[in-house]
Amino acid sequence: MFHWLEKHPFFFAVGVFVTIAFAGLIEIVPNFAQASQPVIGTKPYTTLQLAGRHVYIKNSCNACHSQLIRPFKAETDRYGDYSLSGEYAFDRPFLWGSKRTGPDLHRVGNYRTTDWHENHMKDPVSVVPGSIMPGYPWLFENEADVETAYAEQLTVKNVFSVPYNTPLPMKDGSKVTVVLADTLSDAQASALEEAKLVAADMKDKSVQDAVAAGKIPEIVALIAYMNSLK
Amino acid sequence: MNKLTLAGIITAVVMLGATWLSVGGSKGGLNGDIVNILAVAGAVALVIITVFVVIKYVRQMQTDTASGKLADENWDGIGEYKNELPAGWAFIMLGTMIWGMWYFLVGYPVNAYSQIGEYNEDSAAHNAKFEAKYASIQGDELVAMGESVFLAECKVCHGLTADGIDGKAADLNSRIAKASVMHVIMNGANNMKTDFPGGMPMGLNYSFADEAELNKLVDYVVAGLPESDTEGAQLFEKGTCNSCHGAHGEGMAFAGPKINGFDVATVSSVLKDGKKGSIGTMPAFSRLNPKQIEAVSAYVTSLSK
Repeated sequence: MFHWLEKHPFFFAVGVFVTIAFAGLIEIVPNFAQASQPVIGTKPYTTLQLAGRHVYIKNSCNACHSQLIRPFKAETDRYGDYSLSGEYAFDRPFLWGSKRTGPDLHRVGNYRTTDWHENHMKDPVSVVPGSIMPGYPWLFENEADVETAYAEQLTVKNVFSVPYNTPLPMKDGSKVTVVLADTLSDAQASALEEAKLVAADMKDKSVQDAVAAGKIPEIVALIAYMNSLK
Repeated sequence: MNKLTLAGIITAVVMLGATWLSVGGSKGGLNGDIVNILAVAGAVALVIITVFVVIKYVRQMQTDTASGKLADENWDGIGEYKNELPAGWAFIMLGTMIWGMWYFLVGYPVNAYSQIGEYNEDSAAHNAKFEAKYASIQGDELVAMGESVFLAECKVCHGLTADGIDGKAADLNSRIAKASVMHVIMNGANNMKTDFPGGMPMGLNYSFADEAELNKLVDYVVAGLPESDTEGAQLFEKGTCNSCHGAHGEGMAFAGPKINGFDVATVSSVLKDGKKGSIGTMPAFSRLNPKQIEAVSAYVTSLSK
């Protein structure tokens, strides 16, 4: 057989490729499959959080803010524990980012709160003197797109088996179930309930009025998303 | 001496001369640096070995005749001898395989570099250095450390001068603002769960006869419970504030925090659990180490003195 291969360079090349590819596959695939499993404490996004994630992407927050804390002392002092690949299991796509014009936001929910985000999104310089981040006043007027968020939830559940409606282990040993609504109107209702909790901590009158009237301004969804980043 | 040896010697001399000029002409030369010395030694060895090997094989090509058993196939007229493995080659091959197995099973797994390992070593070294350097820090130095931590972690809400940026956060230059006192008396509080697990009940304003009395009490608390204000002190007792916060608002373990000023215990308690009050929500700052928490507390305490 080796004599035959030596006389047929094309099939020899195919054989070399198959051998090296096999070695690569058994080294890379199991490790990759293991590392991309959700780590304990990671849970799928709720409808409102996902709508907020869409706002985040729509406004290109990821162009200036990364979501990837590297394992260096200087980073973990500032942003919290270094990121693990399993923490992005439900991010489609992940928002690691390649450039930090602003700080990393992977665990921003641990050290910033709703009312701070509200002040900061309206006028960043009012809380961070010298900040070069622009204000995002339209987030207080535009409505969040709950329909698209719900459609994405359905898609990732059916196509990628994202574990909605399944008890998931948390770091403190408890179990948390993220509910996926059966119908769009249920999803809108649950998003509104969640939005009310966020809006209760906000000071902007127009936002509170909008939520009371059953609307969800983009800022509420965005804050719900950022508070979920832990 | 034949031509081949002569050519070899001339080549070696020229190459070594070029090396000499190149090193001598470079900035600093060998510079006493072990890496530079090794590199030049390697270059010299390479020139000499190459010359010897080339001479050997050129000689062999001139005199050698092929021998041994030819393999069956040939490629465009080029054949292959089926010779025995050279012993030296075979030993090196075997040695490489043994070393490979050792490296695969023991060498790499035991000594491998890991980014997380390096991070853990860095953090441990840094923490040990921090501990050693600041173990007994106190007084002004502690306050200075607290200020630097405050400017890194706290100023985004409390502002550079700790004034709370127009009510966006608590003004730390005084213990409590009037609105906050009013808010906790009416709504209770559920903060500092670790140190004060009971929380504060809501509706304590009903202990007072009217708005004016309530206002007097609040003013008394905001003023820092001055001893001169006997009426305020009476109201403090009437509202049963003293049963948890102490007769002079100095605080009571597990019952209520100190409210006649800041101290290290109160501020650390807030940093540990975060809090939610009339102004908004403050997150917990568990990533600060105990010494940093003590330092920030000392700094905040120093602000209102």
